[in-house]
Amino acid sequence: MNPSLLLVLLLLPQQTDGSRLTGHVPAAALPGVQAIITRAAQDSLPTEPLVEKALEGGAKGAPPDMIVTAVGAEEARLRTARDLLRGAGAPGPYATSEIQSVSLALARGLPDRIVSKVVGAVRDTAPGFALHAVADLSAHGFSQDSSVSLIVAALKTGLAGHRLLDVAAAADREVQRGRTRMQALAKVRAILPAIPSQRVPPGAMQGATRPKKGGG
Amino acid sequence: MTRNLDLRIHRALDGELDRASLSPEELALVERLDAAAWALSDVPPVPGLAQRVLGIIRRPLESPLERFRRWVTSPHPVTVSLRPVYSVIIAVLLVALLWRSPASGPSLADHEGVAQFVARFPEAHSVAVVGPFNDWRPEATPLSDDDHDGVWDARVILPAGPHEYMFVVDGERWVADPMAGKYVDDGFGRQNAVMEVQPVRSE
Repeated sequence: MNPSLLLVLLLLPQQTDGSRLTGHVPAAALPGVQAIITRAAQDSLPTEPLVEKALEGGAKGAPPDMIVTAVGAEEARLRTARDLLRGAGAPGPYATSEIQSVSLALARGLPDRIVSKVVGAVRDTAPGFALHAVADLSAHGFSQDSSVSLIVAALKTGLAGHRLLDVAAAADREVQRGRTRMQALAKVRAILPAIPSQRVPPGAMQGATRPKKGGG
Repeated sequence: MTRNLDLRIHRALDGELDRASLSPEELALVERLDAAAWALSDVPPVPGLAQRVLGIIRRPLESPLERFRRWVTSPHPVTVSLRPVYSVIIAVLLVALLWRSPASGPSLADHEGVAQFVARFPEAHSVAVVGPFNDWRPEATPLSDDDHDGVWDARVILPAGPHEYMFVVDGERWVADPMAGKYVDDGFGRQNAVMEVQPVRSE
């Protein structure tokens, strides 16, 4: 391939990111943010979440140094998420949404150890829903190890994807009905996989619109 | 009798019959008619009378548009000759077209779902939802409160999975959804709400 063409292709994503940031992120933050994005791209990490984090900081009126720090923290989480997926033997290559989903689970407070257990248990499918089911349970006061155990049990009964969120919701409902958390986990485990679905009813998309990115 | 009388009067008026042969009643009638004819001959003609009368009784010319309107709104017999096989094909095409047309809203891909954002802000004049899905632009995805009960909502098509978001009230106040139940630090000293969007189609 022509070297100049290769250079243009390499620079193209950065220029696109830069044009999206210009005018929406303080100029003082742009060099730092661009450096992080360039580093992430060179390391095959997704850059879109970094652009979004910078835009979020700009929209919220955060000071430039805080924006650079937040984008750097996002990059570190993405790197950890990608490494956890690799370490757990999840088959690559990893989609941006997959890495981002694991990164968000980390941001929600799940430790690396728990994330590795879930990713290892899910194996052939994207771990996003399983991770967030564990994160939901953890957020409602269930122990993280017990939460992983319940979700892994649900996976073994054939539940997958968004249905794992139903498992977490069912456990929370049992607590709201007065059971202890241990009792709630046991109750839900006993009825697997017959967990009530909280699916979006038909017609919910009536009037739904697609959001647009990159306006003005 | 009357016909004979009329005929005699006509002939007398035309000078074909000697008026001396008329009866006194006939003669009086002829003289009255003569006087009337004499009086009419003295009346000067009304200028433009013929044109005015014709203008009233003649139909005005229609414009092409008016003729078309009259043609469209008047009933006409219409006969369509169609082979039965073509009728069946047209019916099948119409059914297929109706079948494929979505009842409402855009179609969804397998990995997409609908996020319903609902918020209660009774005093607000405007509410928007922002997140990575719209580059955090408050003007991009406004919520609506059609019945003015203070409950604002919007339905947005998003990829299935977790999404961070916040509400922007009156264009300046950023609020994490108090009903979300899931939150994450945003790195800027606040928290974003997290919504899990479920795919509309089964996996």
